[in-house]
Amino acid sequence: MPELIELEQQLSRLGAELEWPTTPNLASAVRRQIATRQPRFDNRWALAAAAVILALAALGAYPPSRDAIAGWVNLHTFFRTVPHLPTPTPLPSGPLGPRLGLGGQTTLAAARAAVKWPLLVPASLGQPDEVYVQPPPDRPSGGEVTLVYTTRPGIPAAGETGVGVLITEARGAINSEYFGKMIGPGTTIEPVTVAGSSGYWVAGAPHVFVFVDSSGNVRLETLRLATNTLLINVGGTVVRIEGNLTKAQALAIAASLA
Amino acid sequence: MEGRPTDDPELLARAQRGDTAAYEEIVQTYQQLAFRTAYVITGSAADAEDATQEAFVKAYRALASFRPGAEPRPWLLRIVANEARNRVRSRGRRQQVELRLAGSYRPGGAAPSPEAAAVAAEDSNRLFDLVSELGEDDRLVIASRYFLELSSEETAAALGIPEGTVKSRLSRALGRLRARVEEASLA
Repeated sequence: MPELIELEQQLSRLGAELEWPTTPNLASAVRRQIATRQPRFDNRWALAAAAVILALAALGAYPPSRDAIAGWVNLHTFFRTVPHLPTPTPLPSGPLGPRLGLGGQTTLAAARAAVKWPLLVPASLGQPDEVYVQPPPDRPSGGEVTLVYTTRPGIPAAGETGVGVLITEARGAINSEYFGKMIGPGTTIEPVTVAGSSGYWVAGAPHVFVFVDSSGNVRLETLRLATNTLLINVGGTVVRIEGNLTKAQALAIAASLA
Repeated sequence: MEGRPTDDPELLARAQRGDTAAYEEIVQTYQQLAFRTAYVITGSAADAEDATQEAFVKAYRALASFRPGAEPRPWLLRIVANEARNRVRSRGRRQQVELRLAGSYRPGGAAPSPEAAAVAAEDSNRLFDLVSELGEDDRLVIASRYFLELSSEETAAALGIPEGTVKSRLSRALGRLRARVEEASLA
């Protein structure tokens, strides 16, 4: 394609001779803002998120404190223990999908068609009330699906999410630190086995949950507090069950996945 | 293009440890690239300045999310471009990028005759006009690759699209630009 190559060369030459607006020197202004400006927040939720960002910053400065728990690679989750977590926050506002970084809303049938792996649906909860699909590249190569159950008998909506149960499934070539959790002193972690699948039950005080993108960077917009969560690997599919659940309820949901 | 010093990782590491002087150096290093990227997206120097400044403040607060040893340019460009797009969204429309040619074009590096320089300048002006007339997606991908000299990964970060899409979008944009160049030369 010699014509295209020539066109590309012309464009490169054109780029070199463009007169851009003068670049302002921003260093001093940025320094002043960093030193003096408090983050702007719309509500307490965002303020709590900021506290977590600061905690993340503190952790980032001390790499040895990362990966507090090893051997979780098959759950694609990194855990960091921290001395303090933000206090529980009110429910953030806005539609569920963008608020929790779940992706685009769809139907169960469309979600099944969108992913190449057999989607697991818990028989004990019945049909989900809402379904979301998050495609690559922000999510694993196989994509990610979240099933939403607003409330169920004995399972009220959780303050952290506004719904009863969130089940997120992900599969494919994903970062070993795809999900991130920050655990404060009030949260317990317990290894569990459900129908031959290994996982962990994270319960107690709300912990911080965040998605990590394919480059390994924390996706700050997904950072939030999470309630009790069961993480298991079912035949290569990472399943995350979060909700206002007791351990027995979570294990029962996991056992009914099919 | 600036912004490719060899000691970036060390600077980033120092900034992550709270060294604001190191972060100031990072701002100095990348501000031109960041500002021009924001300008291509917003079409307004004032908006580009605001977006770039805000992006550097946000990037500082998000330093913990930067993976040590990773390439900082795509990470920064993603934050800058998000800020720039937010400004376009809040304004409801994007302004047309207004750039002039510096007139320093030297085909082949040799000093041209006045006639050759005039022809070359006219060709450049015509080509720039044709790029400007393309649709926004085409314009942005061409500006990112050839005017800002961004890599494929950086273009993906700046435009908020997958890297694979950059290649296909660029290919289509070049095809449409070539068709317009051919039309113009026949006219």
